[in-house]
Amino acid sequence: MSPYVITILLSSLGLGTALTFMSSHWLLAWMGLEINTLAILPLMAQHHHPRAVEATTKYFLAQAAAAATILFASTINAWTTGEWNIYCLSHPAATILITMALALKVGLAPVHFWMPPVMQGLTLTTGLIMATWQKLAPFALIIQMAPFTHPLLLTTLGLLSVFIGGWGGLNQTQLRKILAYSSIAHLGWMIIVTQYKPQLTVLVLITYIIMTSATFLTFKLMATTKINTLAMSWAKVPTITAMAALALLSLGGLPPLTGFMPKWLILQELTMQGLPLTATMMTLSALLSLYFYLRLCYAMTLTISPNTNNSSAPWRLQNTQATAPLATLMIMTLLLLPLTPLAQTLTN
Amino acid sequence: MTYFLDLFLLSLVVGLVGVASNPAPYFAALGLAVAGGVGCGVLVGHGGSLVGLMLFLIYLGGMLVVFAYSAALAAEPFPETWGAGSVKVYVLMYLFGVGVAVWWFWGGHGGYWVIDEFKEFFMVRGDIGGISLMYSVGGGMLVVCAWVLLLCLFVILELTRGLSRGALRAV
Repeated sequence: MSPYVITILLSSLGLGTALTFMSSHWLLAWMGLEINTLAILPLMAQHHHPRAVEATTKYFLAQAAAAATILFASTINAWTTGEWNIYCLSHPAATILITMALALKVGLAPVHFWMPPVMQGLTLTTGLIMATWQKLAPFALIIQMAPFTHPLLLTTLGLLSVFIGGWGGLNQTQLRKILAYSSIAHLGWMIIVTQYKPQLTVLVLITYIIMTSATFLTFKLMATTKINTLAMSWAKVPTITAMAALALLSLGGLPPLTGFMPKWLILQELTMQGLPLTATMMTLSALLSLYFYLRLCYAMTLTISPNTNNSSAPWRLQNTQATAPLATLMIMTLLLLPLTPLAQTLTN
Repeated sequence: MTYFLDLFLLSLVVGLVGVASNPAPYFAALGLAVAGGVGCGVLVGHGGSLVGLMLFLIYLGGMLVVFAYSAALAAEPFPETWGAGSVKVYVLMYLFGVGVAVWWFWGGHGGYWVIDEFKEFFMVRGDIGGISLMYSVGGGMLVVCAWVLLLCLFVILELTRGLSRGALRAV
């Protein structure tokens, strides 16, 4: 793809998210979401093989349906109340429709089905954009919508997402699908707390973006998309392999790592809101997710896959990829937990 | 103007029946064009003259090209019109449905009486103020809209270019 076109597409990707962030009008927010969708399509299909094109088509259909629903619901709201402002969305049918449409956009559980196959069709870099940057604009709207949405709907979306994210990842051998299900589970954590403390949603979003970026970049550096090639990575990049196992455990939410912070604060908030049952179910669902992260760790670091002897000493070429982002993100993935008091101060 | 609106609404329903009754794509496109055109007329009659004009230019100007291409792709030697056997059943069924709906809702609404002293010119008056506001206050947003159209062009060119490797091109 020509560098000029890449520039246009990437800057439009930024423009769409910025437009949704700054808008107080539903039409403008919708336009930002559409720019986001449009700008990423050629990036998704840039390697013109049928799998990528299929993923692009699926993504386009899901996002177009969600955007049309948003437009429809905001029009209903403007028709009944005469108000286009995002903060004035008061019609219950419109709020439910828009929340479901935004859930379809980010891939929350009852409407998540497009996400794993789409992720599977992309390169790791585009998958990284899909899992991080593309979530920002819809989440800006979800956080603004949350006070007006029915609490039961948000709780249902959250619980279903964490459970389906956990269950769905169990039987996968493809890393991108596992990361897609991990994304669904994290989105569930974000949405469950958004009605009680939206600052925590932002915190989960930030930590998730850091952790999943580190994971995607690691897999990109190892050039691996399957568990069985992951099992060979210890011979190629031993240090990164050891740290990647810790990054996966951080995604799973184990205590001394960054991923524990959002889960900890969310469980505390849910308990303080008097919702011990929800908190318990969230905790149990984290076990499901932890199982497949642990299996990846096991394949990477705890076992040596049976192979011929010379495969354990492969040719090591000089690495040409940029490693500075990965280094920064990996350190943030592993060591941000001591900043919890700061996060608590900022979110109170 | 009341009679115009009645005519437009009637043509809208007839156009929709023409599409929904599954004729050959040529004639379905014709029905869609008729429905789209008179739909714009209905919008104008209800005060949305700018929206009506834009829909007429863009929907009927732009989408008609798409209709023409898809109709050309689906070319048949003996296209079915609305008089052909299987289509006629649908046409009669839908017209019967329309008749039932008319009978059911008859008299409840009171018709589309235009309360204005300018007769046919009432339509251009309604949203001139809105247009001027859009061009003065919303100038930046119009620039963004133009950028979106340019972006669409780039996206489509990028998705469809390349004869050798195009997975999107079935034909």
